[in-house]
Amino acid sequence: MHDKENLSDVSKLVSDIKHKNILSSLDIALRSEDLLKELISQGQWKSARELMNLVKIRIQYIKENLPHEATAANVMRHVLKVIREEYECESKRKVEGQSLHQLVTAHPADVLDYSESLINLKTSLIDHLTEYKVELESSGENIAAQASEHIHMDEIILTVGKSDTVEKFLKSAAKVRAFKVVVVEAAPLYYGHKMAVSLAKSNIQTTVISDAAVFAMMSRVNKVIIGTHTVLANGGLRAASGIHAVALAAKHYSVPVMVLSHMYKFTPLYVGSHNQEAFNICASPANVIPYSAGKILNSIQVFNPVFDYVPPELVTLLISHQGGNAPSYVYRLLSELYHQDDYDI
Amino acid sequence: MSSQTKDITRKENVVQAIIVADTFGDEFVPISDTIPHALLPVLNKPLIDYTLEFLSLGGIEETFLFCSNHVNLIKEHINKSIKNVEGWTLTMKVNIIISESCHSFGDCLRDLDAKGLLRGDFVLLEPGIISNVQLLSLLKKHGETTKFDKYASMTMILQEAGIGHIGRCPEEEIIIATNEQNRILFHKKMGKTKERKLEFPLDIFLENSEISLLHNLKDTHIAICSPSVLPLFSDNFDFQTKDDFIKGLLMNEEILEGTLYCHVLKGSQYGGAITNWRMYQALSYELQNKWIHPLSSPRKRNRLMKNSVIIGENTKIPESAHIERSVLGENVTVGQNTRVEHSFIFSDCKIADDVIISHSIIGPHCVLNEKSRITAGSILGQDTVIEKNLFVENTLVQSTKPDDFEEGDKLGAKSYRLRISGEEDDDLIVSSLSCKMSKMHIQEDNCESEDEIEGFSDSEEEELSYTHSPPPDDTKLFFTEVIDSLTRGFEDNLLCDNLILEINSSRYAYNVTVKEVNFNVIKAILTMSLRQPTGVQYFSHLSRLLSYFAPVLRNYIRNENAMVDSLQAIEDVATSNEDLKDKWVMFVLQYLYDKDYITEEVILSWFKTLESKSNFHSQVKPFTDWLEAAEEASSSEEESD
Repeated sequence: MHDKENLSDVSKLVSDIKHKNILSSLDIALRSEDLLKELISQGQWKSARELMNLVKIRIQYIKENLPHEATAANVMRHVLKVIREEYECESKRKVEGQSLHQLVTAHPADVLDYSESLINLKTSLIDHLTEYKVELESSGENIAAQASEHIHMDEIILTVGKSDTVEKFLKSAAKVRAFKVVVVEAAPLYYGHKMAVSLAKSNIQTTVISDAAVFAMMSRVNKVIIGTHTVLANGGLRAASGIHAVALAAKHYSVPVMVLSHMYKFTPLYVGSHNQEAFNICASPANVIPYSAGKILNSIQVFNPVFDYVPPELVTLLISHQGGNAPSYVYRLLSELYHQDDYDI
Repeated sequence: MSSQTKDITRKENVVQAIIVADTFGDEFVPISDTIPHALLPVLNKPLIDYTLEFLSLGGIEETFLFCSNHVNLIKEHINKSIKNVEGWTLTMKVNIIISESCHSFGDCLRDLDAKGLLRGDFVLLEPGIISNVQLLSLLKKHGETTKFDKYASMTMILQEAGIGHIGRCPEEEIIIATNEQNRILFHKKMGKTKERKLEFPLDIFLENSEISLLHNLKDTHIAICSPSVLPLFSDNFDFQTKDDFIKGLLMNEEILEGTLYCHVLKGSQYGGAITNWRMYQALSYELQNKWIHPLSSPRKRNRLMKNSVIIGENTKIPESAHIERSVLGENVTVGQNTRVEHSFIFSDCKIADDVIISHSIIGPHCVLNEKSRITAGSILGQDTVIEKNLFVENTLVQSTKPDDFEEGDKLGAKSYRLRISGEEDDDLIVSSLSCKMSKMHIQEDNCESEDEIEGFSDSEEEELSYTHSPPPDDTKLFFTEVIDSLTRGFEDNLLCDNLILEINSSRYAYNVTVKEVNFNVIKAILTMSLRQPTGVQYFSHLSRLLSYFAPVLRNYIRNENAMVDSLQAIEDVATSNEDLKDKWVMFVLQYLYDKDYITEEVILSWFKTLESKSNFHSQVKPFTDWLEAAEEASSSEEESD
């Protein structure tokens, strides 16, 4: 009972996500960050270890209730790493650049157990989180600022569906360059239509094509720029359904595929399309075949998957606010973002 | 409790909903004797959990749950959910209202009116709803409706659904007429009536510039109500159900000062209610097929197997068992070589080796011993024990002795056949069949045969409903024309000669061959005979009908070819109507033979062409046997003379 009461903050977050009160991944990230700041300043903890346990319980709760929600858990995972770093810093035990020799010869007693209670830990953590929040908020702009490096004059850019990050990125490029955008409508939700309207309003020359026309169009395209739901540990993507086909077509014509991704979308998880149960969500088939179709529905089973798995070899570049990286470099980014011990919670 | 209510009244504009938790019917007997309807496991999760999650996701902040049976069980369950901080508890408050004196849906609403708990518009749910409808936008829409029509009292939420879909309950078929504001002007539940024709009041066509007649809808049993609904129930104490309310409101619109509107759901919004076993089955499948996304079966408790099988915790299935499209609860043990198809097995059942279960529902804690077979819409209540080698088909079984116990109802020490009141009427055959159809949606082909029963007689209505109906066949049109003429003739006692004239003129109008004319006329007369009231008097009615049409029969059955045509018509009618009395074929053949319409040789040679294994063959056989016997007897008599 005691445990459950403590979890009211995270269950509120989960319920808000479920009720669609918060929609964009940025909002989810900011909410999670606020939640942890609250926890650090108000929560019942004495040592870093206790605090880390509190955060871990929350990550587990999110994983159980929203198995496909990566953002909130990633933000919390990153904060775990921040707690570890601050603790090491405060306890003055951190040795800059541990060499292999030191690692091997380290005495077991030297391994930090984070149990000491440090006076300054709380304030320094809160300072660090405030910084982190600024980083989250500016992440979108930082990505958009790189637009002019990637988009050149008179290029044809292809994008799929709607992504806030891609939208910002293209609009930012449109301020300095003239180029054309082809938007794939992304059936069955057709968010591509909204995207095209928004781009056209900012005076970008926009063409909407159907999903089936992607291959035919690809030969004329210079770059594919897409957003993603998460970046997996192997550099692959869990992206909106339909993107795998686009990426394959791009591969065929050797068109570079650039993926815009915030840092909080990098997830230390290996899941592939072979495990659809864990990987995917199936939405209502109503968008594929209407419920009014009648008798035929008794004898067929319709799937409407939300995500596609895009293998890393189809991705050319991942662009985060720190700049562009190849998918093979994701493991390194992950180790910068999260602590090894927190990968699997 | 009082502090709670105070708390509520202080907050203005809370979005409220009412759930009536009881069906007040016997649809779920014998399972409902021990499990309340609200706690019926749907994919191993209590039904009420789906309803509450739906309301919470739909934006409801306060819910009144009205129960009058198994109150403690429901209360316990709700308290447990609140303790476990289930998703809906964060955004919604649930108040349980108990009133054991209520015996109908209407009583509950009258009780609520007396309590005065509701302010503003509210959502009214009938029992057993699973849905993913966004209620806030619907409430807003209803609010806009009330702005231009201050008498608007209810917006019914309907969903588009094709004919023949399992999600459409045949008992709940509706036809409505609306004007361009979506106001309901006419509402008729087709399900239980046997009427073949519909009458729309002329006024609705005269008073409105535009009318839509809709038959492509199913009722989601969700309604958005204005505060005026509850007083209306109180003022009219004869309103027992929502249907009574709708009917009363449409009949006495001016007096009651209330109007009805409807909203048709499109796209991924889904609504449905478990009102009987058939809908239980349909909604289970639809949940599995994600139609009600984001509501889904609990992943933690369930495992999904191949062939669309879902099993609960601690249930193990041996390699040799064959299970298909079924749901098994927790702690079920399954024996070797067991077959389970299209069935629902609740928790803690023990199934021994070599058991066959198909299209049935097995209540909790049942024990099925070796080689027993449970098939075709059987329902087993809690704790039933089925003996070895017992064969149960289309029966309700419970573990205790029923009140109206009769000899032969006892199947074993802990299993008794249960009779549903009403099944023992004269029309036993018809009602037991319809009963069977309502229990479970059995199979595609069975369902189709049911369609055929209604098929031709409903043709006018079907043309209304199917938007993409194929172009009408001339012969079929001719047939309906003939049926119309004959029915009118019979009712108004017209001369048969005139009828023949009429039929002949339609024959030329539709350009049908002589053969088809003979076939269709006989078929029409026989089909009419099926519409007669069933009962003891049935055959006397039938012979009266046939003798009335004697001139028609004589006119069309002239030669041997015509005789064959008419025999084929008998075959056609008999095979497409499965609920015919067994002796019907015999009677008709006997009649036609006695009156010399058809000769013995034709019958015998026609009989040889029949497929010897068919059901129809066995129905005709006694008659031909008799014919042959009679012939032998007469010839032997001649010899002896």
